[in-house]
Amino acid sequence: MTVLTCAEAVTQFFAYLDRGLAGESLEDVEAHLERCLSCCDKLAFARQLDTFVRSRLPEGAMPDGLEARVRQALARAATESS
Amino acid sequence: MQNGSDAVPAPLGVELPLERDEVRRRFEALALPHLAHVHRLAVRLAGTAQDAEDLVQETYIKGLAAFPGLRNPERIRPWLSRILSRLVLDRHRMSPREVAVGALTELDRFSLYDLVWDEDPLPYSDNLHRDFLAQFPDDDVRSALLALPEAYRVPLVLLYTEDLSYHELAGTLGCPVGTIMSRLHRARKILERELWACAKRRGFLRSDDA
Repeated sequence: MTVLTCAEAVTQFFAYLDRGLAGESLEDVEAHLERCLSCCDKLAFARQLDTFVRSRLPEGAMPDGLEARVRQALARAATESS
Repeated sequence: MQNGSDAVPAPLGVELPLERDEVRRRFEALALPHLAHVHRLAVRLAGTAQDAEDLVQETYIKGLAAFPGLRNPERIRPWLSRILSRLVLDRHRMSPREVAVGALTELDRFSLYDLVWDEDPLPYSDNLHRDFLAQFPDDDVRSALLALPEAYRVPLVLLYTEDLSYHELAGTLGCPVGTIMSRLHRARKILERELWACAKRRGFLRSDDA
């Protein structure tokens, strides 16, 4: 097990939130969080930032006639390849 | 019993287009129900509505060409997302907007949390960081996302939209898990930096030299 400094721990926070850590890396970050309140706040902000950006992604309503245009493009592509 | 002597076998050149037509119909039946999802992903990855529609059409045309080789048709949605993501990366491979290596150390150290804490732009707030973020209009956040180089934007948008694991992202984008991990970290750091620059432009900060 490695004792992480705050600078090392913060570089792992997004991977921690993405469930991208496992084994010793995960244990190291969790052990650091147990003893560092400041890093808990930073982790909370990383989570807040993710939620904030995710909630502002454009939904992009489908434009009228898109399916028809895709069908036409597929029909053209199938003709051209024959 | 008649053995079908009057049934003239169709020449090969007539049968093949019919098979292709059948492949296209099967592809459309499986892939078009996911059009709204593919379009939403395209909107998030592309800069304009027209770019998004072009990407969708290109994705479906490429998908049709590769469809006969698709082993698991039940997984067609992630398969279409993969085609779309790789199209975006390929389009920009010729003119990549990479962050200079020299700047990466500085980028890794960038902390919007610390800057907001030090600057304290909302002294009466009881939830400083949340309230700081809440000031940004949607368009600023979308501009900050579009400012990300594609190598960083594509995995981040896929993570947010498809909720993929790092291993799935690595498979989708054809790169090692370690690369995905560092790009997703840096993508957020670039976003933090863009939001801080935007806060300065919009006058959200109290001091001019923040």
